[in-house]
Amino acid sequence: MKFLKKENFEAFAKKISRENDIFYPEQTNGSYRWKKNEGESFSLEGHRTVLPMKYFFFPPGENLKEKERKPAVIFGARGCDLRGLALLKKIYLEEPEDIYFRKDILIFSADCTSAHKDCFCAALGDEPWAEEGFDLNFSFARDGYIVEAGSDKGSEILKNNSGLFEDASNARKREILEVRQKTKETVLKQNGGKNIKPAVIAEKIEKNTDVLAKYAEDCVSCGACTNVCPACFCFFLSEGENNKIRYSDSCQYPGYARVAGGANPRKEMTPRFKHRFLCKFFYRPAMQEIKGCTGCGRCIDGCQGGINFMDVLADIAGAAE
Amino acid sequence: MSKDPYRAIDAWITGVIDETPAIKTFVVKPEIPLKFRTGQFIQFTLYGEGEAPFTPSSSHFEAEKFEVTIMRAGRVTEKIHKLKQGDVIGIRGPLGNGYPLEEFEGKEILILGGGVGMAPLRSLLLTLLAEKEKYKKISLLYGSKTPDDIVYKSQFDNWRKKGAEIFQSVDKCETGEWKGKIGVVTCLFEDIKPNAEKGVAIVCGPPIMMKFGTLKLLELGYSPDRIYLSMEKNMSCGIGKCGHCALGKYFVCKDGPVFKYSEIKDIEGIWD
Ligand code: SF4
Ligand code: SF4
Ligand code: FES
Repeated sequence: MKFLKKENFEAFAKKISRENDIFYPEQTNGSYRWKKNEGESFSLEGHRTVLPMKYFFFPPGENLKEKERKPAVIFGARGCDLRGLALLKKIYLEEPEDIYFRKDILIFSADCTSAHKDCFCAALGDEPWAEEGFDLNFSFARDGYIVEAGSDKGSEILKNNSGLFEDASNARKREILEVRQKTKETVLKQNGGKNIKPAVIAEKIEKNTDVLAKYAEDCVSCGACTNVCPACFCFFLSEGENNKIRYSDSCQYPGYARVAGGANPRKEMTPRFKHRFLCKFFYRPAMQEIKGCTGCGRCIDGCQGGINFMDVLADIAGAAE
Repeated sequence: MSKDPYRAIDAWITGVIDETPAIKTFVVKPEIPLKFRTGQFIQFTLYGEGEAPFTPSSSHFEAEKFEVTIMRAGRVTEKIHKLKQGDVIGIRGPLGNGYPLEEFEGKEILILGGGVGMAPLRSLLLTLLAEKEKYKKISLLYGSKTPDDIVYKSQFDNWRKKGAEIFQSVDKCETGEWKGKIGVVTCLFEDIKPNAEKGVAIVCGPPIMMKFGTLKLLELGYSPDRIYLSMEKNMSCGIGKCGHCALGKYFVCKDGPVFKYSEIKDIEGIWD
């Protein structure tokens, strides 16, 4: 672990920007949106963006062709973004590999210093900071950042910029825990101290179709929830110039599973709604060994039917056996 | 750069056979021989139009050319039916798992098929017949709606000669020309009593037929891990990434399309 003085951050970012496009979360009216850096100074404080990080890796509507572009560095990715990315990587990079899923992106994540009102990661047993999957992670000490390398590339970057960094003292390392704990408490508190066990959800979904059916009544099948989800990966291929185009898709659309002959296993809303929960808490853990929900709350924020995903989970968890 | 799993390779249509008014078989010659295992599928690409998944209906011992039997059922298949000899298409594949032939060796094999579900089963049958000494017995039970809906009509005698035992039924026949059994395919079990203990059963056909066929096989004593089903689901990527073909925790394109009934029996709505 290294220490980066606040005043050295800009010099570090400048140096990185020489060879990379930099993206970072820009704050506008209390929410965060990804922005490409054009040389302005920026901060890593705050919480997750409105749109997930996943679209840097597979932009919607991408014509699948080799592209000329600068590599990118994403500053300020959050723990939830990385937990989502871990699942996406398992799906996209498993044989046969999706060669268009970007591999030239470095991730410089940052601990959350605040929470969106819908965030519930800590109530799901996850942390509001990144534990793995980053190249560098930035944590907040009083007068700068504690920077941890999580990959060989990350370590190399620290080495190549050793002039900007110093060794982190134990006192400073302890400071970051205060920030982490404070954010975690915020998340727990805004979720009424709930502690939802993903394994319990996995077991209880099947027996609680009625709970899901009640919420499904409000769903308008818009697909917003899956589109903003950092862990949803579904797409459909269409013919494009010289190769396919990969469009984002949603299991919540009525025609999603329909076959040419007309059969459709999830024609009705409730099976579709339930599929989303099964996928996230049962199927993905069973097959990819990672759950498909990071607790980011984006689907709550985005839902056109006003469905609170966290409430659904709490109801399932609390339902009788 | 490693291989692009989304890019199709060129292939040429070298023959078109009319099977029934709604079904045609296309003979396809890919630019690189398609080394597939019977039961695996391909994505058939109409450049600029779209893709649809099909299982080759020819023996997997032939890789230079293969055949696909296609029923007109939607936008893409409508266009495929207009293809003529010499036309260029694209193919991606082979995809999926295919039939586990090694599990069939030394056993009595019962193949239960309905309608255009006969396409993958023909591939299986031809592949089995090419090495028939490996199997104890090969029986085919095939049902179609009417005599006009029978695919590969002219080939049944040939398969019999090669060593397959074949029984056929039609759901109905208004002209009276049909001399065989009338009724859904499971009615053929009134006459034949398969040896469930020593056998495996393979089912492919319309969902309703798969359902009742499977239930009948269970009743006849086949254990759920000896019943093999070729599942049809909506497919897009064909390589386990797009999520479309989800069947419970499985992706049919990758973990299937062939499943043992025991693997999927507890999944809700498998026949829908
Ligand atoms: S399901 Fe909702 S809360 Fe969970 S990761 Fe997706 S968007 Fe976030
Ligand atoms: S965002 Fe809400 S309304 Fe839209 S598909 Fe998802 S659950 Fe349904
Ligand atoms: S067709 Fe895309 S995952 Fe199976």
